[in-house]
Amino acid sequence: MRKRTRTHAWLAGVLAASLAAAACAACSTETSQQPGASVTKVPESGDVIDQELMIALAQAKNFHHKAKVYMSDGSLAAATASVRQILSLRFPAGAPEAEDVRLDARALLAKLLVSQGQLEEAMTTVSEGLAQASRESFFVANLHTVQGEIHEARAAQLDAAKDPRAAEEKRAAIAAYDRSIQINASLQKRLLEGR
Amino acid sequence: MATDDDDILSGPVPAPDAEPTAAERAHAKTFAELVDKTLSGRTPPAMSADDRALLEVATVIRAASGGLALPAARQGALIEDVLRQAVGVGAPRGAGASHASGITPIGRGRARRWAPWAIAAASTLVAAAAIAMLWLRPPPKAAAPVAAEVVPARWTSRPTDPLIGPIPREHAGEAGARIDYIFADRLDGFRERRWSPGAPGSRGGKP
Repeated sequence: MRKRTRTHAWLAGVLAASLAAAACAACSTETSQQPGASVTKVPESGDVIDQELMIALAQAKNFHHKAKVYMSDGSLAAATASVRQILSLRFPAGAPEAEDVRLDARALLAKLLVSQGQLEEAMTTVSEGLAQASRESFFVANLHTVQGEIHEARAAQLDAAKDPRAAEEKRAAIAAYDRSIQINASLQKRLLEGR
Repeated sequence: MATDDDDILSGPVPAPDAEPTAAERAHAKTFAELVDKTLSGRTPPAMSADDRALLEVATVIRAASGGLALPAARQGALIEDVLRQAVGVGAPRGAGASHASGITPIGRGRARRWAPWAIAAASTLVAAAAIAMLWLRPPPKAAAPVAAEVVPARWTSRPTDPLIGPIPREHAGEAGARIDYIFADRLDGFRERRWSPGAPGSRGGKP
């Protein structure tokens, strides 16, 4: 009987000690999550500017410079090829800069194609860019502007050929410019509200 | 054949003041030697019935008169049994058990009995205090703004719209100039993070 009482006493002691330890642990966990304590957010690999992003940006920059040299030399085809290479650059997954740089490259590429009279390919380049855009941006707005210019160029060709479809192209150009203006206004408003 | 020794108990009782006979003296001396031998553990294997009866009486008288010391082993066993009963261990199960298990002091026995209860009480007190602290402490504030401060926005990969702004139509094809600007801005953030002490992936010095 006495032995059983002692066993019960030990069991009670162990249970109480466990309860105390659990309560203390919960208390310390809660304390560590308080805002004044050490709050460390380790950024994920895609969050911060890393070497991979910088390399991709540097390559895009170099292709643009190369294209500029070709353009200054009048080699529009070579300049077009150089800009086209920007579209196949590998950026870190999910980097917003990637979309901006590619859209801007498409805008330049389309203008180069227009200057070479390749209006259909220019329109395809723009349309693909707009279809791939995941968000509204100043680069999307710029691409709409270039789209308007392509429509204008088409209208000019049709006008020269006395083709009545020139009016449609002009209306499409106005619609593209309007869309660009709308996006720019919306983004500027959002940016001002964010400040 | 009857002898003097045989009739010492059954013979006539001598007068109180009568002088002891030579036979009585000799018998007394022999009996004294017999008693001494018995007390020293050297009891002769054979003796007369009268002597045995007298020897038993002498042993009883000696034991009853006190001063008879117990052997040391027996003394130790008795003390151990008493101590065991005092600390609640119980009686030994067999001979020599006391020697095998050792003697527990009374104070330590009491401490052993109370130790679990004392630990249980102290632990319960600590648990109650911890629970009370959890219950009574103020609620934590939102940690989101602090977390946002840890990684500055200029170190992060993000849209370049705020940097570039609206692109005028006359500059629509100047992507080369814009990529220079974007690259320079991101390089600043990259270097700052890279050389900032304590930043993730930092080299902890100045470029």
